[in-house]
Amino acid sequence: MRVRIKAERCVGHAMCYLAAPEIFVLSDEDGRASVTVDVVPEEFQEAVRQAARSCPEEAVDIY
Amino acid sequence: MQSKLSGKQCPIDHDHESRAYASSWPDQYREMRSECPIAWSKNHGGYWVASRYRDIVAIAQASDVFRSNKTYDAENDVVKGGVLIPPGTSVRGLPIETDRPEWDSYRSFINRKFAPKASEVRRERVRHFTTEMIDRVIETGKLDFVHDLTGPVPAMATMELMGLPLEEWREHADAMHEIVFLPKESEEFGKALERFNWVYQRCAEEFRRYRELPEEDNLLSYFAHGQIDGRPVTEEEALGYALNILAGGVDTTTSLTTHTLVYLYENPEERERLIAEPELLPTAREELVRYFSPMHGIARNVVEDFDIGDVKMEAGDRVFLPWSSGNRDPEIFDEPEKIDLARFPNRHIAFGAGMHRCIGSFMARVMFEEMLTQILERMPDYKVDVSAAERYPSVGTINGWINMPATFTPGKKRLV
Repeated sequence: MRVRIKAERCVGHAMCYLAAPEIFVLSDEDGRASVTVDVVPEEFQEAVRQAARSCPEEAVDIY
Repeated sequence: MQSKLSGKQCPIDHDHESRAYASSWPDQYREMRSECPIAWSKNHGGYWVASRYRDIVAIAQASDVFRSNKTYDAENDVVKGGVLIPPGTSVRGLPIETDRPEWDSYRSFINRKFAPKASEVRRERVRHFTTEMIDRVIETGKLDFVHDLTGPVPAMATMELMGLPLEEWREHADAMHEIVFLPKESEEFGKALERFNWVYQRCAEEFRRYRELPEEDNLLSYFAHGQIDGRPVTEEEALGYALNILAGGVDTTTSLTTHTLVYLYENPEERERLIAEPELLPTAREELVRYFSPMHGIARNVVEDFDIGDVKMEAGDRVFLPWSSGNRDPEIFDEPEKIDLARFPNRHIAFGAGMHRCIGSFMARVMFEEMLTQILERMPDYKVDVSAAERYPSVGTINGWINMPATFTPGKKRLV
């Protein structure tokens, strides 16, 4: 599993970070999210699915 | 398929400023979501109300069509556009009442000041203000939550962030509260407007003073010394920022925390659960902000014809986006009328959606956590006198409480 943040959609709700702090990081500049890993390890895949379901902007893209 | 109707179909008597709305909004929105999801209200000059989550988010995201800019015609004293219905004061809030490309410059100028890291840095000070305010009442066994704690702490934190004298917090907080909750036609509103103008004046004076001093770590000083697009920030811009930040800072977290205290009083098993399992705090925080939606909704201005659902919106129309209704949409949330402190995922829009989403949300989370944690530690058996508490007469912009008397087993001060 891979995941990315659609930068044009993310406005910093931070819900993905709440779901999976091991995978997402929030910018010190504007609070928007980015992904810290290339491939999502098995043990965090469910949390990343939850992150996708918690984003009001649908900015979390699992591929 | 039903053809698009012309004109303003689905008329409703929606008025988020009315007393009736304050008590009946959950029912009104429930009915709208199932029967008339986008409806036309003839009040306040006429405006659409979108009640379903998906429409609210779609409109908030389509910021090229649904705009926020406000203009003021001083000669005729007419405010046009902006994000409030009715339009509010002549001051254009920054960055909220701007559109792209202007918005990019205005928002990016202050983003860093409200980012997660900057908000975490302020946590110690918020904790100190909370300790100090609780110390004042802890030995007496009684307090008014709004006056003694949930009002002051966000106000003091906002004063410090702005660079306004801490001791002026009550005047600023009262002025910002009153301008929000007093109905515009009430007699007291005139007085509230005077107090609001005093806040404006104080911010202007301090901004000018900071211009003469070396830069300090507060926002008015940052405005006084900062540059937007390579030129100095004007006084009008600094005041537009200041009033937007004061309005967002002093009232919203107060409402959220006060609602939470009532809820935990009325549901003692939930209070026990939160005390026993403090790790629930982050999901509880998001669930409580979803359910209570302190910032009830906000308006946009339609600048080109736009079809949505069965409705045809026209250029020049206004539309109200009630985050509070989206947050109780059963299409998105299971049992939306129920508070579940462990609810997750929770894609609530209590902080708004789209590019204008609340810039102060990280600060709000810090303040809420610090106040609630210390209340549950130091007055875990508090009892609220709900019968003596008063709601804001108008909740459509901020859904809050005027006061909230409570008693508890006295304890000891923490500060010497």
